[in-house]
Amino acid sequence: MPVKSGLKTAFPIILLTIVVAISVTALTFTDRATRGKIEAQKEQEIQNMLSEMFPNMSEYDFENEIYTIYTDGDKVGYAFLAVGKGYGGDIDILVGLEDEMTVKGVTIISQTETPGLGSRIAESSFTDRFKGQSIEDVALTRDGGKIDAITSSTISSRAVVDAVRTTAMEKAKVLKGDEGG
Amino acid sequence: MAKFGKEFAKGLIISNPVFVLALGLCPTLAISTSIDSALGMTLAVLIVLFGSNVIISAIRKFVPSITRIPVFIVIIASLVTVVRLIFHAYMPQMHEALGIFLPLIVVNCIILGRAEAFASKNPLVHSIADALGITVGFMLALLMISFIRQILGTGNLSVFGVDFGTLPVLGKHPIVMFILPPGAFLIIGLLMGLFRRTGVMKSE
Repeated sequence: MPVKSGLKTAFPIILLTIVVAISVTALTFTDRATRGKIEAQKEQEIQNMLSEMFPNMSEYDFENEIYTIYTDGDKVGYAFLAVGKGYGGDIDILVGLEDEMTVKGVTIISQTETPGLGSRIAESSFTDRFKGQSIEDVALTRDGGKIDAITSSTISSRAVVDAVRTTAMEKAKVLKGDEGG
Repeated sequence: MAKFGKEFAKGLIISNPVFVLALGLCPTLAISTSIDSALGMTLAVLIVLFGSNVIISAIRKFVPSITRIPVFIVIIASLVTVVRLIFHAYMPQMHEALGIFLPLIVVNCIILGRAEAFASKNPLVHSIADALGITVGFMLALLMISFIRQILGTGNLSVFGVDFGTLPVLGKHPIVMFILPPGAFLIIGLLMGLFRRTGVMKSE
């Protein structure tokens, strides 16, 4: 009975194909249903953080990975994302600038540093230390800068500080280039 | 109906997934840092385990044994992805708190373990009872562990933003170790030992 035994061999393949097809359909459907919501949420999150950093913000636009902040049509600052290499993984940071040279504020978006030690980088007692600093001075005191590290969390502190400085320097170049051109 | 009750009840104590079967220890260690994330994890596991037990029990007679593992994995992975997307869309904070351990439910041995050991051999109704019982057992274990870890590790008890107060000494000087992974090992080990010693649970 070659036909029957052929079917028997093929059946697992057919079955698996059907199972995969059904699961792909279900996943596509869920993705469609939730995608808008997830994107709106990310946008909202960024917007909340920006308006916390720039309380007078009335609108912003996003170009070349830089958010430009406006108050009633006047440019009041910039913001961008920076990624630090922390002790426990990547640290996502939102950096705000008043002008091309001065830090307006720093917000830790997400981090996986040691709870109770490195995780204190997300607290305002640390992030407030960046306010009003010139971007060139954003380095740990022991590295010749003006930001004090958190006691016993030097690696996490340095990760944030260095990411803010290097990214801010890069963005400042882009911003200055824009004005020149 | 008596069988239904029996299949449900066994998950709570005699086959408790964490303390007796020792399944799903990785997410248990990782997310039992707070009662909030323990409950979030329970919800995710409930949806996935219920779904997978129902589907696998319903199709158990058509699935030849050589393809059963890939079929189970596809079903479980799809369910987990659906749950992850829904959490991301409607419970963003919970999605954030569970982090990588939400997608990792795919490889949580509780799910595949129940599919292989129970749902693929038992009728639908019993598989539902099994899924519910195991989930409640998982929840009880997670709640116990996360309660102790949260109290010792932060000195504070709060659930979903409702603050039940801070302990006098621990509040100021929490034992941070209990929030970190070693604390989870200690607490799980001590509870497991306690339950065995007192005869509440026996090893399988």
